Amino acid sequence: MNTEQLIFYFFAALLLTSALMVVAMQNLVRSIFLFFVALFSLAALYVFALADFIAITQVVIYVGGVLVLMLFAFMLSNKELLNSLHPIKTSFKFYQLTGIFICLTFLFILVSLNLQIDFSGLNWIKSSAPILERDNTTHTIGILSMTRYLLPFEVLSVFIMMALIGAAHLARKDKKA
Amino acid sequence: MIPLSHFLIISACLFCIGLYAVLIKKNAIQILIGIEFMINAAVLNFVAFGKFDKLNGGGQLFALFAIVLAAAGVAVALAIILNVYKHFKTIDPSKINKLKN
Amino acid sequence: MQEIEFSEFVGLISLLVILLPLFSFLLILAGRKGSGANLALINISISFILSVYLFFFIWNKQPIHYQIPWFLIGDIEFKAGVLLNNLSVLMITLVSGISVLVHIYSRTYMKDDLNIHRYWAYLGLFCFSMLGLVVSDNLLLIYLFWELVGFSSFLLIGFWYTRPIASQAAKKAFIMNRIGDIGFLIGIIIIFSQFRTLDITALFGDMGLVKASLVDKGLWISASRQMPEVWFSIAGLAFFIGAMAKSAQFPLHTWLPDAMEGPTSVSSLIHAATMVAAGVFLIARVYPVFDPFVLNTMVCIGAFTAFMAATIAISQNDIKRILAYSTISQLGLMVMAMGIGAYSESIFHLATHAFFKCLLFLAAGSVIHQLHHYRDEHSLDFNCQDIRLMGGLKKGMPITFIGMCLASAALIGLPLSSGYLSKDAILITAFEWAGSRDGIYTMIPYIMVITSWLTVFYISRLVFKVFFSTPKLMSMEQANQIQDAPKQMSYVLLILAFFCLFFAFAFNPFSFDSSWLWNGFSSNLFQKVNFYHWLIPLILNIGTAVLIFTAYRIYVKNDGMSISEKNIFHRFFRQEWYLHELYNYLFTVPVEKFSNVCYWFDRNIIDALVLKSVTLISILSAISHWCDRILVDGFVNALGTCAKWIGHFSRNFQTGKLQHYLISMLLVVLSFFILTYFI
Repeated sequence: MNTEQLIFYFFAALLLTSALMVVAMQNLVRSIFLFFVALFSLAALYVFALADFIAITQVVIYVGGVLVLMLFAFMLSNKELLNSLHPIKTSFKFYQLTGIFICLTFLFILVSLNLQIDFSGLNWIKSSAPILERDNTTHTIGILSMTRYLLPFEVLSVFIMMALIGAAHLARKDKKA
Repeated sequence: MIPLSHFLIISACLFCIGLYAVLIKKNAIQILIGIEFMINAAVLNFVAFGKFDKLNGGGQLFALFAIVLAAAGVAVALAIILNVYKHFKTIDPSKINKLKN
Repeated sequence: MQEIEFSEFVGLISLLVILLPLFSFLLILAGRKGSGANLALINISISFILSVYLFFFIWNKQPIHYQIPWFLIGDIEFKAGVLLNNLSVLMITLVSGISVLVHIYSRTYMKDDLNIHRYWAYLGLFCFSMLGLVVSDNLLLIYLFWELVGFSSFLLIGFWYTRPIASQAAKKAFIMNRIGDIGFLIGIIIIFSQFRTLDITALFGDMGLVKASLVDKGLWISASRQMPEVWFSIAGLAFFIGAMAKSAQFPLHTWLPDAMEGPTSVSSLIHAATMVAAGVFLIARVYPVFDPFVLNTMVCIGAFTAFMAATIAISQNDIKRILAYSTISQLGLMVMAMGIGAYSESIFHLATHAFFKCLLFLAAGSVIHQLHHYRDEHSLDFNCQDIRLMGGLKKGMPITFIGMCLASAALIGLPLSSGYLSKDAILITAFEWAGSRDGIYTMIPYIMVITSWLTVFYISRLVFKVFFSTPKLMSMEQANQIQDAPKQMSYVLLILAFFCLFFAFAFNPFSFDSSWLWNGFSSNLFQKVNFYHWLIPLILNIGTAVLIFTAYRIYVKNDGMSISEKNIFHRFFRQEWYLHELYNYLFTVPVEKFSNVCYWFDRNIIDALVLKSVTLISILSAISHWCDRILVDGFVNALGTCAKWIGHFSRNFQTGKLQHYLISMLLVVLSFFILTYFI
């Protein structure tokens, strides 16, 4: 077990722990901040997958964008919203058991499937050229997005504009009252 | 090197956690967080497989697109949640069960 | 051929004699209420005429035996038929003759009674059964008519059934007769099992089976089988018990005094002349079946009955009860005579007794009848039958007086009366019989002598108190004004009075040997001791005269009893030897107690069982109710609740809640995954 794996496991554990805590917390604010931690550790994991640009993008967009957006959204809204976000203590219900059961079953299915596959024996993996550490992924991504994946890129931008306009329209104050 | 299956297992766990959050939570924003988890798990999957695609770089690129889409989705969803709150006076999804008005 | 035709003809005539009263019974019961008297009288008169005709054909000639087949049991055929010999035709004439006279008497005596049509009907039934009894030729038919006679006696005693005493007396008579009938039946059964036939001629005739059977080495041997010899005695005793109940011997005699609750004409016909004679008649019919032991028993019981009844009669105050006990006493005499073997003397006495006892009853009836009129006219209230209240009726009722006197003379046995012939015949024969016996049997004739003297005393007491003494309730002039009975009743009395004298029975008033009736039957001949034939009547008549004089002194001159009522003997006799109380204590009270026990048992145990079963059933019904409610209804309710639960459960799939939909979606996907990849 070398350092790399150790750090990887550390970040993986951090991710999963914070994700569990996000889900287990009733208090919304705390769960959002733990979400924040989870996102960071996820970015670290991306790095281990040799996707450094994705990691940075994750941090910038998710943490800096989405998270902040969420925080601002409910903190700067009315007081009732804030109050209603107070933790409501619910007793352990059968309903939660169903949820846990489904999730565990899902997990079980996925994991078992996963373990059954011998990834090094797959043809396309064997015949593929993996990304190496010394590759410049940013360079590759830049080029690819302008040549091969231009259409999704453009559509995506249109899409973001739509989302922007839509969100702005939706969140406007009602002038009628 | 980290074997591929590790990534996949982690992403599976993350996905299930997100699923749990979506199914159980009584707060719309926490459901949103769950959705985010699920999307992030998928992105992790992309990225894990993308390690083997040097030629096309499809994995990493689509991870990028997914992140962007997720962000846009979150924005719109928050706007909707605010509107819903204005109308229903609650963001408990189990209480929002009328389509009319 | 001619013989057969003749016997058939005679048989048919005798059938007619029997059946005419039956027709009158049926027709009166079925028809209108008014014409019963005439119909009955005509029927019985025709019966009488026919029976006189038969009498002259059969007496001392060849007996006629006419049979028809009756029924079949196995391979034994029973025949029904008539047997006409001396005994039958004598009885048939006697019964129908006295019945005619009583019918004529009853027309006037019972005139004012509302239920009189029933009376004529029952009289017809009685005459039918009595006539049938005397001509039947087999024991089964005799038993049938025997029962019918008892039954019609029951009906007639309880004629005024609205009086409780009358219905109780009828019941008592019937029950006591039943006791005797059991004996009769046992006798029939024994005879049948020994001889396989019930025909009287075959059994008891001179060539009969009974006489032919031997008693040898402790066995009773007959043609077909043998049995131990004790059964011979038992058969005889059984028949005698039957006769005892019918003829009121001790201890089955207590029904006869109580039977006086019936109308007086009924008492005269049935309980004086005919039915009570049926017992003696039965003894006469089955005479060969009695062995010496039974005959000795007969003698003892007959003598004791005669003595006992005479002692009771001297203390009674009811005119009819005195006459009832007199009947019992004379019947005891007859039974005793049968026992000592004086067969023809007994039958002779039966015939004479019928006439004078009937006359005594009818005369008493006319006295009672006139006193009833006197009582109703003067609105008094006294017992018309109590002789202590009567007196001085001699002047006003001469015919009744003469009739009663002649009948009393016959009863006493004064010379020139018929009773003298028959009674002294029996006593003389008794002394002759005792000569060949020893021990207690020598006392029997002396007891009978004492009984005759007692008879004298009580009947003269009766006559003196009723006709001679000073009346208690009215003055002598008033008593003289009590008129005699209406003409029809008086004529009957006179006809009967004629038969109380010796003319009808013999030409020689002093010797019974010359009587045609006596000569018609055969009896055992004892050593004839000649001097008995004049000594005993002489002693008897001397005693009689003394006693009549004494009674006259007591009851007419001194006008009262000489013995105080508290005297122990007087009390004992007046209470009829306390036999009623004894029977009550022995039989009635235990039976009542037993019936109370049975009633208690029935109420508390059987009914309790029923009630417990009711409880059981109610418990069962409660259980089934519970089952029905809890199990059946519960099952149905459970089904409903199940449906409700299922619905309730399924309702949750359509909540409208997003997360629920998501969950169900995922469940489906999961199950798909699992089914595809793992199973």
